[in-house]
Amino acid sequence: MTKHSDEGSLFSSKKFTDWPTVKEALISKEIGGVFILAPLAMQLVADGVPIKVVYLGHRDGTGIVVGKDSPINDFGDLRGKVIAIPSRYANQNILMHKMMDEWGMPYDSIDLRELPPPEHPIALQTGSIDGYIVGEPFAAKAEVDGFGKVLYHTKDIWPEFISCVMVVRQDLIDERRELVQEMIDGIAKSGKWLDEDMQHRMDAAEVTAKHYYFQSPELLKHVLSKPEDRVKYTNLAPLQEDFDEIMELAFKIGVLSRRVAFKEYADDSFVRPLDQLDWGMDRLPREGGGQ
Amino acid sequence: MKVKVGIGMLLWAILITVSHIQLNLGWSALRKEVAIMTGEQREELVIGFLPVT
Repeated sequence: MTKHSDEGSLFSSKKFTDWPTVKEALISKEIGGVFILAPLAMQLVADGVPIKVVYLGHRDGTGIVVGKDSPINDFGDLRGKVIAIPSRYANQNILMHKMMDEWGMPYDSIDLRELPPPEHPIALQTGSIDGYIVGEPFAAKAEVDGFGKVLYHTKDIWPEFISCVMVVRQDLIDERRELVQEMIDGIAKSGKWLDEDMQHRMDAAEVTAKHYYFQSPELLKHVLSKPEDRVKYTNLAPLQEDFDEIMELAFKIGVLSRRVAFKEYADDSFVRPLDQLDWGMDRLPREGGGQ
Repeated sequence: MKVKVGIGMLLWAILITVSHIQLNLGWSALRKEVAIMTGEQREELVIGFLPVT
């Protein structure tokens, strides 16, 4: 497997387990960028961290999950229930409040509890929560293992839902613009490749299950195909109207300490038309060059 | 005659090489690889992630 991009630059990933460490790593320039929750990116900018949202990680790919045999059949049935969210800074938290607004429910009508996403399925299975809202593959996990059902996919209740965004340090944008462009082009090309052919998605499930997610390939194949538009990897430009809506809701429910203008935290100048970008491969490279 | 054949082969080899770079490799990638071979550091970017969503 090649260790560098087609253009010769080396991109590597670093896993974090908590948000304060991510913030410190950005400030100390240990990392150049990070995939983080959209409202958290806004709050970091509100706190004075010099970063910009330059692209999205994906669209949709979040579900509200409840027990398979539970009597919960619509959002109104969640009144009085305990529902896990990934973080108060997650757009999933904003969505729950948006839905409560739409259903005329007061914000304390659902007990929202922060829980690390990998713990959501087991918490539902053991009965310590009544449901959860989370990004994939943890929503599909309960479905595939047979103890949960997806009450709503975000594509049906907040189409083109934004969860994770790509943020980059401002000094990199100013001083190493070509490198940032190369990275964004790479994300865009891989997204286009994923969305243009189901076979590509199945191939990606095989490779990422083994090398990145450490999940069963069958679980990832389920996420990427049932239904096909459960998660999307195109339309990843940061659009002001989407972010304004998230920012206003986040400020309204107290997640943001102040309103943040789009231009303060976003830079959409790296977005290029997808027809100018192509990966030109049928299958992903494997370790050792095998297929 | 030999000179003409030699020049023809040379031009053909140049054409194939240029086409290969243009179609398969890319000029900026070639420039970067040459710079790296002559001692320049490979550009590196570390991206963080949290397994949250």
